[in-house]
Amino acid sequence: MNKFLEKSEIKRLKDLTFWQKLFIPEIFKALKITVKQIFKPSFTIQYPEVKFQKPESFRGSPILVEENGVERCVACGLCSRVCPALAIDVQAAETTLEKERYPEKFEINMLRCIFCGFCEEVCPEEAIIMSSDYELSFTNYNDAIYGKEKLLVPIEKVKERLEFLRKNR
Amino acid sequence: MPATSTLDYRKIRQEKIIKTLVNKDLSIQFEDHLENEMILNMGPQHPATHGVLRLLLKLDGESVMQCVPELGYLHRGYEKLAENCSYHEFIPHTDRLDYLSPLMNNTAYVLAVEKLLGIDVPRRTKFIRTIISELARISSHCLFVGSMGMDIGAVTVFLWTFREREKLYDIFENLTGARFTTSYTRIGGLSQDLNPEVLQMMKDFVEQFPEKLNDCEKLLNSNRIFVERTDGVGAISPEDAISIGMTGPNLRATGIEHDMRRVEPYLLYNEFDFDIPTFTGGDCLARYYVRINEMKQSIKILQQALEKIPEGPIHAFEPKKVLPRKERVYTKMEELIQDFMLINYGTEPPVGEIYHAIEGSKGELGFYIQSKGEGQPWRMKIRSPSFCNLQSLPKLVQNSMISDVVAIIGSIDPIMGEADK
Ligand code: SF4
Ligand code: SF4
Repeated sequence: MNKFLEKSEIKRLKDLTFWQKLFIPEIFKALKITVKQIFKPSFTIQYPEVKFQKPESFRGSPILVEENGVERCVACGLCSRVCPALAIDVQAAETTLEKERYPEKFEINMLRCIFCGFCEEVCPEEAIIMSSDYELSFTNYNDAIYGKEKLLVPIEKVKERLEFLRKNR
Repeated sequence: MPATSTLDYRKIRQEKIIKTLVNKDLSIQFEDHLENEMILNMGPQHPATHGVLRLLLKLDGESVMQCVPELGYLHRGYEKLAENCSYHEFIPHTDRLDYLSPLMNNTAYVLAVEKLLGIDVPRRTKFIRTIISELARISSHCLFVGSMGMDIGAVTVFLWTFREREKLYDIFENLTGARFTTSYTRIGGLSQDLNPEVLQMMKDFVEQFPEKLNDCEKLLNSNRIFVERTDGVGAISPEDAISIGMTGPNLRATGIEHDMRRVEPYLLYNEFDFDIPTFTGGDCLARYYVRINEMKQSIKILQQALEKIPEGPIHAFEPKKVLPRKERVYTKMEELIQDFMLINYGTEPPVGEIYHAIEGSKGELGFYIQSKGEGQPWRMKIRSPSFCNLQSLPKLVQNSMISDVVAIIGSIDPIMGEADK
């Protein structure tokens, strides 16, 4: 391996040998290198048919965690403050539940969101996390604004991500 | 009088235009066919201009008499944007500067902010930052070799270097959660730790990469077409290069050994053993060789760094400046308040100004921050290497052939996201 790490010296036109200048033998040499590649396993994946393996740290689109039928979010507004793309809109209201506040309106504009994961990082309630969903498509602007009904995901479905976050953050 | 419909009007107008055109003498006469220059507009959508660079070329036959590069098609106003972002919020924006080595920009930015705040990060973080910088350098230089080869006609190498980049992107994805827009570093730390599986992936990559690079070299180094199209093309003298402000591999191709990793060691570069490859001539071929050899040196640094990486915390213990750990935010009052304060008002640095530069993959990548003691910078200037390197273009392409312009642009390796900011 270390023989590959030696400095390769510059080879200008005048340094090329007669055979290299002739070019024909060089073509065959190069073909030998390229033909070898044919027998190596293919590196590409056929995307829409074959999906790639997502690592556990993968950051997809943000979602809200739903616990016991209600969202965990307490509408503190921290995520909308930190969001570099200004994608989140939260409006707080009061509730009789123990958490006292809940988001009356929680919207994420998926056209603005850059999947940076900052909202997940700052949320004090572990209420907004990044899912592994990355294939979003819309046909009009209003579809791209996800409200609570689209964002809420039951906690059982996002166990893996929560586990990952507890381990790594 | 019957009302004439719009259609009729249109017809009448069309006929009028045609009549005028037919009656006009449109032939152009030249007394001497060779006396006139031609102005050619190359870009901004030309595939060889690597993004949105526009060149105005004044041609005499096939040789270029003059060239005026026009920049700014990708200007998004990041410097101004920074004035309205807290220091933390700006991190994802740095991904989008030099989008071929986002991890390096992340590192450069947080190093500048940490210098302003006076934070010292733990040793493990320094190691990880060194490692990701070098991986980003390899990724960027791989693209250079591939795309320059493709500009000249060697398409195979392009596919091979992209295969290597794919492996790197897998590593980045596992490490940071995203392939491209990494946003990995944080002020005083990193977003998440490097876990053993990723470390193993990095080791595997370092193990197999030199051989793959050697394959690419075999296809290019003694390829007569490649050598003929780059040897002596677009040469610049060391004096000119310095006066223009060229840095990085382009400067080192003229024989000047200037590397921020040596001149002003940051992170842990003074602990590793590596050389700074330089070549003379300052032409496209020399620039190619500098980058090939730099990748080898990066591998050398990676081999040492991956061996020696210590265990330990990755976050600096600076409660007033660094975001608290999550499990403490959930349970402790002080950390919760800290979390709110830091996000709402930002880290408050002392009044002053700093400049911190690192050796990016294209050259000296520096952040100049002026602070008035508020949560946002009062002014931020990004010294982007691509912008300065591009200034040399008129000089480089003068008197060369028009087909060489493509090779020259490829050899400077400009990234328009960074040049236009
Ligand atoms: S940071 Fe968390 S708790 Fe606060 S508004 Fe956002 S999702 Fe809700
Ligand atoms: S992932 Fe980033 S951009 Fe998207 S909503 Fe969260 S903070 Fe905003």
